[in-house]
Amino acid sequence: MKRKERVDQPRRLKDMVYKALFNEVPFCVAVIDRKYNVVEANEAFERNFGDWRGKKCYAVYKKLHRPCDECPSDSVFDNGKVVVADAVGVDKNGKSTHYVGHVAPLRKTEDGPIDYVLEMTRTVTGTKSWQQEYQVLFDRVPCYIAVIDKDYRIARANEAFRRSFGDVVNRHCYEVYKRRTSKCPNCPAEKTFRDGKVHRSNQVGMGKRGQDIHYAVTASALARSGEDIAHVIEISTDVTALKKLEHDVIEAERLGAVGQTVAGLAHSIKNILMGLEGGKYIVSLGLKKNDSEMITEGWEMLERNFDKTTSLVKDFLSFSKGRLPELRMIKPADLIHDIVDLYKDIAAQSGIELKVDLPRSVRKAPLDPDGIHTCLTNLVSNAIDACQMGEQKGTEVIIRLTEEKGTLVFEVSDNGSGIDYDVKKKIFTTFFTTKGGEGTGLGLLTTRKIVQEHGGKIVVKSEPDKGARFRMEFPRKRLVTLYEDSSKSENSERSR
Amino acid sequence: MSTKKILVVDDEPDIVKWLTVLFENSGYIVIQAIDGNEGLTKAQEEKPDLITLDISMPNESGIKMYRSLCDSDSLKAIPVVMLTGVSREFERFISSRKQVPAPAAYFEKPVKDHELLDKIKELIN
Repeated sequence: MKRKERVDQPRRLKDMVYKALFNEVPFCVAVIDRKYNVVEANEAFERNFGDWRGKKCYAVYKKLHRPCDECPSDSVFDNGKVVVADAVGVDKNGKSTHYVGHVAPLRKTEDGPIDYVLEMTRTVTGTKSWQQEYQVLFDRVPCYIAVIDKDYRIARANEAFRRSFGDVVNRHCYEVYKRRTSKCPNCPAEKTFRDGKVHRSNQVGMGKRGQDIHYAVTASALARSGEDIAHVIEISTDVTALKKLEHDVIEAERLGAVGQTVAGLAHSIKNILMGLEGGKYIVSLGLKKNDSEMITEGWEMLERNFDKTTSLVKDFLSFSKGRLPELRMIKPADLIHDIVDLYKDIAAQSGIELKVDLPRSVRKAPLDPDGIHTCLTNLVSNAIDACQMGEQKGTEVIIRLTEEKGTLVFEVSDNGSGIDYDVKKKIFTTFFTTKGGEGTGLGLLTTRKIVQEHGGKIVVKSEPDKGARFRMEFPRKRLVTLYEDSSKSENSERSR
Repeated sequence: MSTKKILVVDDEPDIVKWLTVLFENSGYIVIQAIDGNEGLTKAQEEKPDLITLDISMPNESGIKMYRSLCDSDSLKAIPVVMLTGVSREFERFISSRKQVPAPAAYFEKPVKDHELLDKIKELIN
């Protein structure tokens, strides 16, 4: 009794499973004979296509009166191979429906002929409309999309892409984007093929009319995680208009700065001319009156203003010197030692102590030695002047080097006369000087310019009679970026 | 007729010196100031007959001084001759002023000595 149960159980379970499967699978199942008759179908089939009993498959699937032009079951009856095909049919309510059919042979005996085919049909109308939406999105989105295969050939490209770059499918991406014959250096798609991560970069390409196209590109892998990446999708935003705007703004600012500088220069020159005019007048008056004291006074005025012309021209040249710093890997401390050698005696003569405060070791950094030398010269000579102007005894100038959270800091502080609020506001502006006839007003302006060209910033802390502290701060990250950019541009200069 | 007094305000020592020699040689008494604050104090103390004022000094102290002169009942009658290095500065000054009368005269540096002397003679007498 027990044993019989055990024998029957699997068969009954199998029947149960088959029956349930046939009716519960989430797609339509039908059995078709060689004459296109639907001989069996599941509930889902009936729910979707309506009554099938005694009907031909083409009448049920497509509401046609004759067999379809391309019948997948024909080919299964012919060669016994499973066919997967998609088709458009009509459901029981007369609505067009997209479906994918999976057609397999059925035999009554294992080696016998094919008696029926089993058609398993999945409705994909929802997926189809998704696909259509996706296609519209793909083509209409206002950015360039290209799918790139492992050989760097473009497998698909959207409308915007084709509009700007022309007919591109099956051509190498580097040829399309940049008219190159080999892969671009720093290719984001290459990195994505390698590590499967998202990579971004900014590039300049050439459109089909030969126009420059600036674009920001994002490369992402087209694969499920763990799969080998066969394709990368590149989505690029055209930033040509922005770049142009940016360029125009910079150009306008540059012209503005040039205008301001020229105006300031004219102003300085006019003051010098006044001095020369005055000297000339006093000398000739002294000659007329035979007054040697007056002649001497006038002559000194002339000399002073000639000297001013010289230093103005020198400062102006250093201000207008090349836009990009020439970076070299150097020890920051060496720059400070040079300055100390230069100013030790000058400071000592005025009773000012020149001190340095250096950490035990600061790594080399990419800096423009001439530029930083100019900055330190300006700051130290200003500090010495401030000490001479102050009333207090025991004045000192301290040059300090520190490294704070990846930022290299040069600091020049003094305990001299200090700077009041009004002056502090204008300290870095064109031709501003508190030294009357002695200064050209270009020292701190040039200093700020050099610091900014290094990607750094300069700040000042000061109160009247409390001395001043100037800090030049250089984030190492930016220095390194500038250094890499400059060596890259040097290389491309060389290869031209 | 007593000797006329001129107050020269400029932050360039050489220009102060030159104007001093020029005016003294033409028979005027000269008082000097190197910025607007000192200029205002000396104007109040000395009551000069004319003031030459540089308006391209740091801190815009020349402009400030001119405003203070115009606001002061005892000083606003003193004619002011403005000297400037850049015409733009003067234009900016003129366009920014509110209820401040234009200066008696205005010269752009470098100034021709005889032109300046002629204008001063005309203003003082």
